[in-house]
Amino acid sequence: MQVRLTDVVKRFGPVEAMAGVSVTITDGEFFTLLGPSGCGKTTTLRVIAGFYDPDAGTVHFDDTLMNGVPPAERGIGIVFQNYALWPHMTVYENVAYGLRLRRVPPAEIRRRVEATLEQVGLQGLGDRTPGQLSGGQQQRVAVARALVLNPRVLLLDEPLSNLDAKVRARLRSEIRRLQQELRITTVYVTHDQEEAMVLSDRIAVMDRGRILQIGTPVDLYERPASLFVADFIGTNNLIAGTVTASRDGQVVVETPAGPLRGVARGALAPGSRAVVAVRPEHLVLQREAPGPLDVTLAGRVVLSQYLGNVVRYELETGGGIVVLVDVHDPRRHRLLAPGAEATVGFAATSALVFPEDRQS
Amino acid sequence: MTAPVADAVPLPAVARRRRLPPVAWVLPIYAFLFLFIVFPLWRLFADAVSTDEGQWTVRFLLDFVRDAFYQRALLNSIVVAGGTVLGCAVIGFLAAFLLVRYDFPGRALFSYLTMLPIIMPPLVGIMGLVFILGRAGTVNVLLMDYLGLRAPVNFIYGWHGVLLAMILHYFPLITLNVVDGLSKVDASLEEAAEAAGARGLRKVLDITIPLVTPGFISGATLVFILAFADFATPLVVGVQNLIASQAYLNIVQFVDRRLFKMGIVIGALMAAMAIVFLVVARRVVAMREYAVVSYRAVERRPLAGPWRIAVPAFFTTVLTLAFLPYLGVALAAFGRAWSLTPFPTRFTLAHLDAVLHLTPIYVINTLRWSALAVAIILAVGVPLGWVLARSTVPGRGLMDAIVTLVLALPGTAIGIAYIRAFHFPLPLVGVVLSRLWIIMPLVLAVRRMPYTVRATFAALLNLHRSMEEAAASVGASGLRTFVDVTLPLIWRGVLAGALFSLMFALQEAAATILLFLPGWETMTVGIFTFYTSGTIGQAAALGFVLILLCAATLYAVYRLTGARMGGLFGSGGG
Repeated sequence: MQVRLTDVVKRFGPVEAMAGVSVTITDGEFFTLLGPSGCGKTTTLRVIAGFYDPDAGTVHFDDTLMNGVPPAERGIGIVFQNYALWPHMTVYENVAYGLRLRRVPPAEIRRRVEATLEQVGLQGLGDRTPGQLSGGQQQRVAVARALVLNPRVLLLDEPLSNLDAKVRARLRSEIRRLQQELRITTVYVTHDQEEAMVLSDRIAVMDRGRILQIGTPVDLYERPASLFVADFIGTNNLIAGTVTASRDGQVVVETPAGPLRGVARGALAPGSRAVVAVRPEHLVLQREAPGPLDVTLAGRVVLSQYLGNVVRYELETGGGIVVLVDVHDPRRHRLLAPGAEATVGFAATSALVFPEDRQS
Repeated sequence: MTAPVADAVPLPAVARRRRLPPVAWVLPIYAFLFLFIVFPLWRLFADAVSTDEGQWTVRFLLDFVRDAFYQRALLNSIVVAGGTVLGCAVIGFLAAFLLVRYDFPGRALFSYLTMLPIIMPPLVGIMGLVFILGRAGTVNVLLMDYLGLRAPVNFIYGWHGVLLAMILHYFPLITLNVVDGLSKVDASLEEAAEAAGARGLRKVLDITIPLVTPGFISGATLVFILAFADFATPLVVGVQNLIASQAYLNIVQFVDRRLFKMGIVIGALMAAMAIVFLVVARRVVAMREYAVVSYRAVERRPLAGPWRIAVPAFFTTVLTLAFLPYLGVALAAFGRAWSLTPFPTRFTLAHLDAVLHLTPIYVINTLRWSALAVAIILAVGVPLGWVLARSTVPGRGLMDAIVTLVLALPGTAIGIAYIRAFHFPLPLVGVVLSRLWIIMPLVLAVRRMPYTVRATFAALLNLHRSMEEAAASVGASGLRTFVDVTLPLIWRGVLAGALFSLMFALQEAAATILLFLPGWETMTVGIFTFYTSGTIGQAAALGFVLILLCAATLYAVYRLTGARMGGLFGSGGG
């Protein structure tokens, strides 16, 4: 089922948690709302769920207007950040509760609950109480409780944030597998960009109540539309300076680290303030470069971190600016000690130049 | 590059101290608990099942059980206590739910005021009600004068009066516990229910009420025991046919040994009931107490339409009823020769003068015993709270159980137990404690200690251990850490608990009435004897002063803590 928000505004007192959000989530899509805390992503999810009514704008499920429709009548299943399992009910009762309210015959309830528990890998644990389960198991119960009602939309609010890293990774894959099997329209809220990239068909990056960019993980990583997205998704070296020249979609920016060149993203007239964004993996050591580099920076290694598959250097360049440089598959690379002089560079096509964000 | 933070000059080593084993600190506490709680209770139980010559027998128990009069009285008591719990549950739940979940005109004010009935001892409360609702009280006089009613309506004499006074006094105990439980319910638990399709009453019944049940049960068992064991309140309105009243009447008469024994059996029965209730409540609460961390409280919803009027009207009605006794007591305290008129026609300071200047002994004794009691409570209760929260000495569980038991143990039972236990020379020291005035502050201290212990315990639980560990890591000794770090961070909570102990010590109207000897009379003793002997003006004046003292104490607690003290009143355990 398609979920469509049009110009939705939601205020809490003077705060605009959603400042005109429009988005269309297509049928069967895994869609993630990504952003820092306070960006409005959870509010958006709760507006879709029906816990909040928008102050302005509309919410449609397919072609039905949903404004004012209570959560239980929307055909949603929701998983809360803290699971919200009812502690006075067993696992079975938690999952069965919604079915009981719908007066489903007991035999049918039993069949459905057991099938759903099996689906999430909890067969045989129906008699436990939530307090007797691990965090990961509680999360599965919460997912089962959301799925047992055959929802048309599955809503997940930071469902993995309270789990430790290993469990998180495993549940992440399971949530994706379940979603693929059921082909259910899913809206997922997270502040963890890695989680968003791994899970999603498309991601909406939010900040201050607005959607800044919607795209596939590849779009967002390789073609960020704004400085905020470039900074939020993955790691980027951000170097501020002043535009001195502009030609063929590329601009030259004078920075304390020297003149840099990159692809212009936005209006960048000579003389305006700009920020150059270049990812650590696009910076290469000059002496290991296969050919000539468009832009070079000279500096001194201040920190070197060996991670096995990658070596990350912190290089202090002109003006005290520190850039991160990643060397992948470092077996054929001679490690640089802190204090060593090095020159790095990048291809102008791999760097993006944004107008400086006056707000931050 | 940065310079080193500290240079390498070695610091003098922290002096090593000789340490007492932790158990040594706890021994005096053990001794206190044993001598003043365990021993008297044991005496009480032993006396109920043995003759004066020390022969074990179940004869007295059988006498009690077979006596139709006591059967009747027991049944009456259960009905009164059960009715009190029911009434308190209805008002308490409703009030708590409205205060936590909804917004309406006057909410903040009502939330303060609902707490206030606790400051009035039920003994004073029922006296005040009699002035307003009695046969010659304000309401009946008005009805007869203006509506031509021939005979007065009996609003108050009898069980219904006892019930009314008790419900009005005790419902805040339920409200406090339920408010506490409700504010711990995370919003998402109810939202999950909404998403599943449960709305309105369905959601409340299936999700909300089960989640606050533990708090409710620990409050309700307490109310039951307190209502069951109160003898003074029923006697004021002439209800003698209750088990607690019988216990009192049997104990204070010196003629009939058999009746006296029956008093002891009833005392033992009350104590046993407190223990059983406590165990049951603990079981239920432990089974159903959910360690829920509330991430987000349920949002308070504004009330609309007729509810905006109805809800404040509900609170106004309940609180007006609850405050009627205050009005009655105040009028009677200052009224001169008040009879046959709705309100006193002339006013006088004579009653107040009598109890403050001519015979100030009641006020002086109450202040003296209560102050001493609080001193004992601080000396024993604060270390005890620390031991429960922080140490691992053996017997902690038992001490915790004893503290909770004392909270639930009726003053009537403790009074009878003390009469029996300390009527003989104590072994080793040879003093007869019941003839020394120290027994008064002692019994008050024992009765009211749990509030301070629990407050200390709660304050310590909120203080993260790492604060103290940090002090230890830089070289502070245990006592130093306590004085320099722990105490400055918990004193508010401890003081609030101690003030509660003080307030309830001032109000004590059971153990002290049973234990006093001439010259030791407290205000509640004075109220009880003045009222039952017909000196009503002075009884009211004493009641008025007592209310003022309690109100001042409660105000101090409010100033210290805001108003969050639900955990102090419950039998469910700390």
